[in-house]
Amino acid sequence: MRTLTRLLPKLAVGLVMIWAVATFTFFLVHALPGSPGDAAYENYILSGMSPEQAQAKVSSIYGFTSHDPLLVQYRGYLWRLLHGDLGQSISYSGVPVTHVLRAAAPWTIFPALAGLVIAFLVGTSFGAVAAVKRSSRWGGLLSMSGSFFAGIPVFVLALVLAFLFHTEWNLLPYGDTSDVTLTPGFNGPYVVSVVQHAILPVATYALLGYGAWLLTMKSSVISVLGDDFILAAELRGLRPRTRMRYVSRNAILPMFTVFALSIGYLLGGSVLVENVFDYPGLGNVLFQAIGARDYPLMSGAFLLITVAIVLANIVADLLYTVIDPRVRR
Amino acid sequence: MTDTAPQAAAAGAFAAPLASIASAAGSAASAASAASATPETEVLVRDLTVCFRTDRGEELPAVAHADLTLQAGLITGLVGESGSGKSTLALTLLGAVPSPGRITSGSVQLTGIGDVTRLKGAALRQVRGGKVGYVFQASQNSLNPLKTVGKQLLDLGRAHDVEYLPGLVRRARELCELMGMDGKRVLDSYQHELSGGMRQRVGIVFALVLNARVLVLDEPTTALDMLSQAAVLKIIGQVHKEIGLTTLIVTHDMGVVSELADRLAVMYGGRIVEDGPAEQLLRRPSHPYTRALINATARVTGDISRARALPGRPPDLASIPRQGCVFRQRCAFVMDQCATEEPPLDAWGGDIDNAGGSGRRRACHATPEAVIGA
Repeated sequence: MRTLTRLLPKLAVGLVMIWAVATFTFFLVHALPGSPGDAAYENYILSGMSPEQAQAKVSSIYGFTSHDPLLVQYRGYLWRLLHGDLGQSISYSGVPVTHVLRAAAPWTIFPALAGLVIAFLVGTSFGAVAAVKRSSRWGGLLSMSGSFFAGIPVFVLALVLAFLFHTEWNLLPYGDTSDVTLTPGFNGPYVVSVVQHAILPVATYALLGYGAWLLTMKSSVISVLGDDFILAAELRGLRPRTRMRYVSRNAILPMFTVFALSIGYLLGGSVLVENVFDYPGLGNVLFQAIGARDYPLMSGAFLLITVAIVLANIVADLLYTVIDPRVRR
Repeated sequence: MTDTAPQAAAAGAFAAPLASIASAAGSAASAASAASATPETEVLVRDLTVCFRTDRGEELPAVAHADLTLQAGLITGLVGESGSGKSTLALTLLGAVPSPGRITSGSVQLTGIGDVTRLKGAALRQVRGGKVGYVFQASQNSLNPLKTVGKQLLDLGRAHDVEYLPGLVRRARELCELMGMDGKRVLDSYQHELSGGMRQRVGIVFALVLNARVLVLDEPTTALDMLSQAAVLKIIGQVHKEIGLTTLIVTHDMGVVSELADRLAVMYGGRIVEDGPAEQLLRRPSHPYTRALINATARVTGDISRARALPGRPPDLASIPRQGCVFRQRCAFVMDQCATEEPPLDAWGGDIDNAGGSGRRRACHATPEAVIGA
């Protein structure tokens, strides 16, 4: 019951946030220069069509796009949104946006989550070690590795990994989610192929988060190590193991907020990662939608990312109340 | 009279440890001779120097050649300004030195244990909390905010290999009741659910629950309001008496110790400059610094303009004079000798009515009569 009374206000706030973001992205996306027709028209001209041909082709393909005033379109968008309808994709010639997103989502969610979990586990453990051994050479090296990976831009990291592991050493496949000659399903060769194709994206997500986890955990542990109760525990003769448990549990608390925030960060990063690895996830869909001025698909993808972040924050809040007695009320 | 005399009179149980203390204290025999009046000694700090090394490789003493005796069953007050080294000295009773300091000479002998500064690992852990209880400054949060007091009590019990944990819990509850708290409620609480005064009392419970004989309280009333201060002081006095502890109170507040302490030691610039029975020392301070401290204390009754501030500021580690008396720059009784020669902490007869038995010591070139009479 108390969980419910805590949960409901958070859910309400979450819904308001989703509505706000939906509205914001709707207008923002429509404010982008160019229309889908214009973009396609330019492409046809560039590919050598005459202006008349291109015009005819554009109106035949994009004839269903709306020419209503923006506010009317917005009202229609919200109404459909309430019914779970995100509209039809323009660049996929009228396929419902939900279908496009549903097909792409697993290829982003699972690799990104796997990368996040790996980065969290490795980054926070190494961060704790880096904090405790901060005056030794190992601690220094760990901190440096954190700064290094936190400082590399995503696309550079992805490109370097792709170059080394695919082009140079040919250890891992590149592009798409599996070997296209295999039949999808729960059979051995296909699963192996999927895992192999996922390794580079997952590694990129993991390395992308690793540095930030390490550095934030390190500073969190250092600040807890300086807390009075840790000195008190030492002067009461508590075991080193018990003291370390006190430190780690207190230091991990702020990490939950970072965890929720980093989900949004990862989804944003997926645009670049999937583009480099030519991996057909949400990021790639979003990237192509922006290129084609596919408003419904863009809005849908942004909305999905928003919902994911809002949900992650609610989960983090709830977890916080479980592990921190001070916020239980 | 030397410090071998009380050993002869000491109870059999204490004879062996005291013999080992005597040999360790041999080098400081002259300084120790004054602390020989009572039969039982619980803690014997001899010639203790704690140094902090600077980036340039200098060794700066936070505590220099300190001699301090805690007599069993008495409350000793350790008084001094911030930075005088009193907390550093108190921490050495637990074999702890704040990093990056280290003990460069001397010993801290605990009766029945030996020199704690030489203990390491599990043996040191057993002393901390088990034999010497340390209570933190009231403003400090000495408990893990994520665990209930009771669960931390169990952690403490396990760390000290307590075989019967329910007994420990019962003992903790008794101590809580003794200090006017609801034991069950306190053990079920988190730190943030307790008031400042309650946290302070819980700190005392944790220090005593393993039957420590020595209780060290670091600034026990700082950051408490006046009413909580009075309550905590009353409780300290009561617990001390009922359990039969040897207590060291570290404070900058003369008012705190004047109510409680049997003996006082005054620190300045890392040195103990005067010690002796509290009443005598407060009434007739024989060191210019003690005198100035007492004169600077404003009283509730009487003329407030009688309180006189001590000019200047206390030295920090880097500005402590390397030669001569550490207090001479602020001293009203300064003379030529003070600049070159550091006055030793020598025994002094004290008041006539207590001659020989007072155990007063002072480190000053001026005569006691001159300081007291001024």
